[in-house]
Amino acid sequence: MHTSPAKLLILIALSLVILVEGRTVLAFFGINIPPLETALIGLVVIATLVIWAIRPLRGSPTKSE
Amino acid sequence: MTALFVDEYPAEARLVKAAFLSSFIAFGIGALFGIIQALHRTDIFRFIDSIKYYTVLTGHGVFLVIAFTIFFLVGLYQWAVTDSLERGSVDIRFTWLWYGLMAIGSLLAGISILAGFLDQPPMVLGSELRANVLFTFYAPLEANPLYYIGLALFLVGTWLAGIDWFRTWWAWRDENPGKRIPLRTFMVLTTMIMFFLGSIGVIVSILVFILPWSLEITESLNPLLTRTLFWFFGHMIVYFWLLPAYLLWYSVLPKLSGGRLFSDPLARVVFILFVLLSTPVGIHHQYMDPGIAEGFKFIAMTNTMFLLLPSFLTAFTVVASMEHGARQRGGEGRFNWLRALPWRNPAFTGMALAGLIFAFGGFTGIVNAGMNINYLVHNALWIPGHIHAQVGTATALTLMAGSYWLVPQLTGNRLVGRQVALFQVVLWFVGIVFMTNSMFRAGLVGVPRRTAEPQYQGFDYDVGVGSMGELNAQLALGGTLLFISAMLFLVLMLLTVFNNDSEPIVDGTLPPALSGPEDSPQVLDNLRLWFGIAFALVVLAYALPLAGIAAQSGLFGQDIQPFPVSSEAVIYFQFGLEYVGAFVT
Amino acid sequence: MRIHQYEKLWIVGAMILIVGFIVTITYGSVGLGITMIGDEEETIAPDELNDDEQFGEPRVEQVGENEYAAYVVAQTFIFQPDPIEIPANNEITFHVTSRDVIHGFYVPGTNINAMAIPGQVAELTVEFDEPGEHGLICHEYCGSGHHTMEGLIVVQPEDEFDLTELSAETPDTVTSGEQVQLNATVENGQLEPLETTVDAEIGDQTFQQNITVDGNSTQDVTFTAESTQLGVGEHDWTVTVDDYEETGSVEVVSNETAAAEGGEES
Repeated sequence: MHTSPAKLLILIALSLVILVEGRTVLAFFGINIPPLETALIGLVVIATLVIWAIRPLRGSPTKSE
Repeated sequence: MTALFVDEYPAEARLVKAAFLSSFIAFGIGALFGIIQALHRTDIFRFIDSIKYYTVLTGHGVFLVIAFTIFFLVGLYQWAVTDSLERGSVDIRFTWLWYGLMAIGSLLAGISILAGFLDQPPMVLGSELRANVLFTFYAPLEANPLYYIGLALFLVGTWLAGIDWFRTWWAWRDENPGKRIPLRTFMVLTTMIMFFLGSIGVIVSILVFILPWSLEITESLNPLLTRTLFWFFGHMIVYFWLLPAYLLWYSVLPKLSGGRLFSDPLARVVFILFVLLSTPVGIHHQYMDPGIAEGFKFIAMTNTMFLLLPSFLTAFTVVASMEHGARQRGGEGRFNWLRALPWRNPAFTGMALAGLIFAFGGFTGIVNAGMNINYLVHNALWIPGHIHAQVGTATALTLMAGSYWLVPQLTGNRLVGRQVALFQVVLWFVGIVFMTNSMFRAGLVGVPRRTAEPQYQGFDYDVGVGSMGELNAQLALGGTLLFISAMLFLVLMLLTVFNNDSEPIVDGTLPPALSGPEDSPQVLDNLRLWFGIAFALVVLAYALPLAGIAAQSGLFGQDIQPFPVSSEAVIYFQFGLEYVGAFVT
Repeated sequence: MRIHQYEKLWIVGAMILIVGFIVTITYGSVGLGITMIGDEEETIAPDELNDDEQFGEPRVEQVGENEYAAYVVAQTFIFQPDPIEIPANNEITFHVTSRDVIHGFYVPGTNINAMAIPGQVAELTVEFDEPGEHGLICHEYCGSGHHTMEGLIVVQPEDEFDLTELSAETPDTVTSGEQVQLNATVENGQLEPLETTVDAEIGDQTFQQNITVDGNSTQDVTFTAESTQLGVGEHDWTVTVDDYEETGSVEVVSNETAAAEGGEES
């Protein structure tokens, strides 16, 4: 585990929030992301976070920030 | 571990529990109404008549922003006064008296609202029992007198609560001559001074104008006057919802972070600023109203902008206190200390996320306050977006998080489902962002608030990005997440109350601030002075506009007929046709 | 009072931001001239609206060169007039009041936004750059039918906009041998004189007359046809002025019929 379940939960929540608000900000600059793509990006981000979190710590642990 | 609140002050704890119970019942009903609205107005699932939507809307407003918030406030403040003065009420019977008045008042108002669901409402006090007038009850829309009587009793109860806490403080002062007012008591007393001053408007509006008019004692009223008197109260009440959350952020959050409050003097300054500025700003809700001169709107605008200051100060102090706590827990680095915070604790996480949303919502508030920018958003869905970020999250989420910390101390029972509680606060955070983001965007393209069906025949909204369908889906999704979160909270509270054979694992002691009251001048505790200045500011901001409104069309207006809101839409059409007929012929 | 160094900086920053916001808003008011709805207008009692010079007949009228006034009454659950027709590229001042409860006056997606309060008159001046149609909605809860309360603002191209009104009439029946008189009235609500042509058709006879209607006044035109030429029977008539058209019919009855009917009546 790279992080605790509690922090993973909050990271997922934060990434969803940034996704929703970020999409609005991007639309303001003329970059439109359709809902379906947004949902896909969300899933990918969550999957990445989960994989990163449960990946066992081995060798030289990389510091991911 | 020190003794639990419930063991030290069993009588007061009983009252706090009763207040929280009332608060949570109102929260449950209000949340249920919330999801009905989210699904109805987006046209995703409509199972009630659109006319009954306004019953739901009135209930959502009154149950949440009057009953839920204020019942929680009186409970929390009773705890804060008792715990920080280390003494109980002067007379616990008086304490129960005000709670009783509030409970009866909210029951009367609640019954008159819920009667809106009946097809054949009973006749009470000479008219149909109904109150589909929303939480703002703008005359000449008319509710049953019972609704106004209920609201008045509730307000009287809240006044007596304030007086009760002042009595407790006076008794303490006699026992502890020369001592500074403890911070939490200071916050309670200043909040109540603010409330006394600001609620004068709505009390006059109800008792002098609307109630006699609804009982047909007076024949007419001045709709702009009652509306202005409502907003005299209406922005102060916003801070009345918010300050319990502030009290928790200042007193409990630093401790939960593992440290101490950064500065006690600045906390006092913040509360004094709210006393001074939260009432003379109400006209910023009436930027679009005729009959109020532009100059008064400008004054309200500048006052409102200065009201940002206490919130900015709070942001600093709260974040600084959290950082201090994190470093006490071994956090290091410029931003890495964030990882050392107790994210696993639902009470902490809930408050921290609520603070984050509050900062974001605050910026949307600046748009509302910006007089001429307000043309774009006034009464658009943007406004409920702002409200749900502020009272619906900064306050509601903080109160829920605070309950996870406080309820075990009030019941002596261990909190059930800590992990679920963490999930609950995070779910609220995600839900509110989904919902408010959609509300902000829909508001900017002109979707109005307070309507059962924002879909019109003659035109379509010009949605620049995405589609109405997408905005609606996002709003409904957010509303659903919030509803699930609310129900989770209530279930956890219920289970905790019945979790009898357990020991709570909370430490109820609150450490003193890093910079204590001795660092602040004595004048901060001079409540008479602050009341005097606040009073003068209110007179400056309101005397002339109110006099102007009364002079234009009279204190009692020009023959304004009441409009009982009834399910019989026919009455309206008859009335309308009569007039159309009159002017055609 | 001890205040931490960072906190002092923060307070100064916050104050700069606050003053900055106030300056921005003030610039909007003074520099850009975005005025707020104020208290310039007289109050008016809702039950006197029908007798009021302006709100008795809610309408659009021209008040100056490139300036129009629109008098709008909001009531459960309609706006009057509906639709509100106005020209593009002109200053339109809306005067909005309510006949009953508090309503809203809002064109979604624009800054046309006001409260309609019984007793009060909201005044706001706007200009539409482009012709087109805009929905007008009530955005303050006003009762059970609130969500049905909408109107329409039709912005017409400036050169196509007029405030012309046409009315026309003939007698229902004319006895053969008498003249059929078609009286048309052209009203010009604008300030500039209106030069136009009135076309009329009675049965198979056509007429044409050029007229000039002064600003804010009316002009009567009469067309006369010989009933004998039309013949006995029902004849349709039409009057057109610009895009306006009035139609009706006149019946020419023979002498005997007229006499017989007259006899029955007496």
